[in-house]
Amino acid sequence: MITAERKPMEEIMGYVEPCQRILLVGCNECVTVCAAGGRKEVGLLSSALQMAFMKSGKVLQVKELTLERQCDPEYVEELVREIDGVDAVLSMACGCGVQEIARRFRDKPVFPAVNTSFMGASERQGVWAERCQGCGNCVLGLTGGICPIARCSKRLLNGPCGGSTGGKCEISPDVDCAWHLIWERMKALGMEKSYEQVMPARDWRTSRDGGPRKIVREDLAL
Amino acid sequence: MSFRKRLLAGEFVVLAEMDTPKGVDISDLINNARRIKGSVDAVVVPDMDKDVMRISALGGGVLMQQQGLEAIIRVCFRDRNRVALQGEILSAHVLGIQNLIVVPGEDVSFGDHIETKAVNDLDEIGLLKAIQSLEDGIDMAGFELKGAPSFTVGCTVAPYTDEEEMKREIAFAEKKIAAGAEFLIAPPVYDVAWFAKFVEGARTLGVPIIPTVFLLKSVGIARYISINEPSAHLPEDLVTRIRKSSDRTGECVKIAGETIRSLKGLSQGVQIDALGWEHLIPAILEQAEV
Repeated sequence: MITAERKPMEEIMGYVEPCQRILLVGCNECVTVCAAGGRKEVGLLSSALQMAFMKSGKVLQVKELTLERQCDPEYVEELVREIDGVDAVLSMACGCGVQEIARRFRDKPVFPAVNTSFMGASERQGVWAERCQGCGNCVLGLTGGICPIARCSKRLLNGPCGGSTGGKCEISPDVDCAWHLIWERMKALGMEKSYEQVMPARDWRTSRDGGPRKIVREDLAL
Repeated sequence: MSFRKRLLAGEFVVLAEMDTPKGVDISDLINNARRIKGSVDAVVVPDMDKDVMRISALGGGVLMQQQGLEAIIRVCFRDRNRVALQGEILSAHVLGIQNLIVVPGEDVSFGDHIETKAVNDLDEIGLLKAIQSLEDGIDMAGFELKGAPSFTVGCTVAPYTDEEEMKREIAFAEKKIAAGAEFLIAPPVYDVAWFAKFVEGARTLGVPIIPTVFLLKSVGIARYISINEPSAHLPEDLVTRIRKSSDRTGECVKIAGETIRSLKGLSQGVQIDALGWEHLIPAILEQAEV
């Protein structure tokens, strides 16, 4: 899933400070799972904003709504009924959701209330960690199901650097060395031989380095 | 005799690591270079070591050559993409640099520009193969070069905490050698018996192994390494020996010298890292009887 964290209150207040009425929109997908921008967080932020502005004597009117998916035009269309009369939209979805609202409602300012972080998985309650960088050419089949591009600080493709100590990365003892994990996994699977396989220099065009990406499925396009 | 010739002849080589200054005052670098001239076979110039911005390895390497010292420059892929790296490597050749060491480089969070974006377009294997390709007259995009460079190319071995990690490093070194590395620079040695195990395991690699000898400089540094770097295998006795000495700097010089002496039958050279105290290298070598 896409993970996110709520922005600092001061920043959010800075965006909506000139507004009298705002539409605060959550998303029922990834940001709900990572507890950053679902229905519950929309309610909490709405109350927090109203109370914070009230301290300085300002009444901020907040309409709350949580869409099924904010990155999908079909669901964003639901905002048509709600958007008239508000000065701005404050979105608690990932950057995809914010941009979809901006694309659909060209005359309405849209502000992000969360910082979109990474594609990750839940390690345990309240902890999410990066697992994928969407490089467009998956190597997991060669690395025992552990991604060196997302999980090695240096995106090394063939083995660890000199900074790995006791299975931990040089950037922090809290970060596992991806190549240590790969080696351990290959040993457990009896696949040490795979480690000798050389991965050539990567073609990054399938990654963000090739510019903004798009998938076109002719079989599905209308 | 050049570094390459000495390597090929199986002779013991002495390398000194010398970092470039942060700024354009090169007087210390030049003075240190003059002090060690004649004592060492070549100078290894790091490439923005610890990601601290300073004069580049190529700049430092050229300065060494101007002083009559053979230079080995490190090339790291952290700060440059394949286009910039290949251009730099071609420049190195035309400026007289004959030796390269491919290194991964430390993470940018260690440096003095922590807001920067690491590049890491290639990795060690990718860079070694790129050098190999340039030497064959073809760049990474497949275009023919107008004149091909040639180098003696080495790589590094990462520190290993236990025999399992050592095994993994040897397997990785095999890949690097297959990609064009002709010699290996091994991590600092404080326990020669531990290093001997690596040599034994790496015997099949068939390339010269040059371990690093680090001048400890103080009891504080020795203590720090022994506590924080388990892969260093720095014996407690060594820390005690420095602490108890009335001349701690002299003791550190003696330790470095003794280590080199013990490595003589075991490796094909040493890379001395004196951390800016290059003026002590002749004294270390005197202790080492090199």
